[in-house]
Amino acid sequence: MEKPQLIKDGKRLDGRDFDELRPIRITAGVIKNATGSAYLEWGNNKVLAAVYGPKEVFPKHFADPEKAIVKCRYAMAPFSSLEEHGRAGPNRRATEISKVTREVFENVIMLEQFPSTEIDIFIEILQSDGGTRAAGITAASVALANSGIPIRDMPYAVAAGKIGDQLVIDVNKIEDNYSDADVPVAISPNLGRILLLQMDGNLTKDEFSRLLGMVEKAGTKVMAAQRQAIMEMYKQ
Amino acid sequence: MQIKGISKEYMSELLNRKERIDKRGFMDYRNISIKTNVIPHAEGSASVYLGDTYVLAGVKLDVGEPMQDKPDEGTLTTSAELLPMASAEYEEGPPSPEAVEFARVVDRGIRAAELIDMPALFIEENKVWNVYVDIYVLNYDGNLFDAGTLASVAALLSCRMPKLEGKEIIREGALPRLKTKGIVTSCTFAKIGESILLDPSGTEESFMNARFTVANDENYIRAMQKGLSGYFTRQEIERLIDTSFEKSKTLRKIVEEAVKSGD
Amino acid sequence: MAEIILPGSKIAMQLKSNGTYIENSSTYANVVGLFDDEKKQFIPLEGLWYPKENDNVIGKIETRRSGVYVVDLDSPYKGIIMSKFEHTRFEDGDIVEATVREFREFDDAMSVVLTRPKKLYGGILLKVKPPKVPRIIGRGSTMINQITEATKSSILVGMNGTIWLKGGDINLASEAIKRIEAEAHISGLTDKIKLMLEEKRKKE
Repeated sequence: MEKPQLIKDGKRLDGRDFDELRPIRITAGVIKNATGSAYLEWGNNKVLAAVYGPKEVFPKHFADPEKAIVKCRYAMAPFSSLEEHGRAGPNRRATEISKVTREVFENVIMLEQFPSTEIDIFIEILQSDGGTRAAGITAASVALANSGIPIRDMPYAVAAGKIGDQLVIDVNKIEDNYSDADVPVAISPNLGRILLLQMDGNLTKDEFSRLLGMVEKAGTKVMAAQRQAIMEMYKQ
Repeated sequence: MQIKGISKEYMSELLNRKERIDKRGFMDYRNISIKTNVIPHAEGSASVYLGDTYVLAGVKLDVGEPMQDKPDEGTLTTSAELLPMASAEYEEGPPSPEAVEFARVVDRGIRAAELIDMPALFIEENKVWNVYVDIYVLNYDGNLFDAGTLASVAALLSCRMPKLEGKEIIREGALPRLKTKGIVTSCTFAKIGESILLDPSGTEESFMNARFTVANDENYIRAMQKGLSGYFTRQEIERLIDTSFEKSKTLRKIVEEAVKSGD
Repeated sequence: MAEIILPGSKIAMQLKSNGTYIENSSTYANVVGLFDDEKKQFIPLEGLWYPKENDNVIGKIETRRSGVYVVDLDSPYKGIIMSKFEHTRFEDGDIVEATVREFREFDDAMSVVLTRPKKLYGGILLKVKPPKVPRIIGRGSTMINQITEATKSSILVGMNGTIWLKGGDINLASEAIKRIEAEAHISGLTDKIKLMLEEKRKKE
């Protein structure tokens, strides 16, 4: 299939500006049995995040006497894509995303407060349209705030990229397929720390710096959506 | 705030008074809410809240091979995942015997009722449509069987039929509905001591010693499954079958309305 | 005026309290909470139970192993009742009330060692968020006594967020507790609950 024209008359295929996010809507506390949870819609992405624990570690020998350990599962539902049915079973991409997501939260959760326990983070992509790992991290952050597990900060994440020569924020599936660079970033905003950074494609150093600036600017809108989700739980 | 548990003494006391924790009658359902087309990327989808049990079903169709013994028909594969996020008791890993039983029982009801027009899924020799139904349990609070059946049936009845153009499958746009016939629903009962309750909640299931599910449509029993190591008498089973036929009238209506309003 | 603060937000001033942490001499929230500008107080709205000596807790006997009963406290840590010190016998599934003696390692796991365990017969268990427990009890037990009086239920509140209710008007008691948990941060709650209990009683 030939590459579609992703940018036309200064706008993207879905009508967005280069630094414009798709609409984000988050609801906290949707999975009653979980310690904390959140449902997020980001463009066409539909994501559920839930947190369990801290709780006993099984098997015991994995427990760390100094702090809690974090387990993270990122998975995509077999009906989540616009294309075929997804096969079940271990998927290397999901394994990698689970790992880098876990590392984001290992940084912000105050693990030393719960030695010898485990905290489980589950991220289920019910419908996917590009930027799902960013959506998952953003949702899991809200789930953690909902859970009462102490965290240093609430990270957010954005999928940035480059289409041709144009730097863009919040890449959707079709843009991701044909992009010239794909850069997911997760940031701990109050402490100004980058907790996840991946990239593949081609970028100059200058382009990358500008892209980070665009991410931080867009980040205020992502954080606003996270904040709204929490505020709605305490409506007076 | 959540009800965390109830003592066995209080459970017996309630049942002796013919009461349930949430004040329902023994043969009453909890609040049921069904929404279709919740996952537009899937050809068919539905979410069901049955009390606090929350289940999502997605339907996808692909082009593939028929079953060897039924070369002129499409295929149906029903799977269920008890997501670890749905309950502290669910673990990650391959489907447990509970998950497998759950998927197979829901599948049997749909298949025996011939809900899907399988011959209509035939394309040409050795090429048919494969229908995949995936049931995702998102929050467990009892009676997965009925929630799973409701979600799967609602998803199938509101499912769009993709089009094959040469080698390409068109899944979006103005598409007709998947050809279906009738509606099938199920009723699940839990036995606690000598009492039998319809639509057990999670707490009630923790006390049950036997479980019975009947899938039926207007005129026929389509599937049955007795579960756990307790027993039922013949009179009990026959009575429960009658109750299923009675209660399913309302269930079919709820599914119909959900499919209609999803349009 | 009280403002809802998200974890990671800097709290306007130097403060050492539950639900906060200090980094580079600034204080940040580590859970969702309310910051009262006038009273200079941070009130956590979410949070877990941290085992503290002398806390009264309620849980369920899970199993017996290595000479101890393991108690599910619906918390990060399990409780243990050491059979050689506590002479009551329990069965799996029993609901118990006990006091925290100490929090230490036992059998390669951090455990909450419990003392003075008592089996509770009958009743139901509710789970509330641990930070709301003090509000449910009320200063000098005023709130919980108000509920007990109006409903005639026996109520035991565990600091771990598990509440045991038996007899009387269990539904009304649950409703009152649910309301306190939801509105713990809103002023005038004691009066609102009093009104609610009176109105419901009049209906009967």
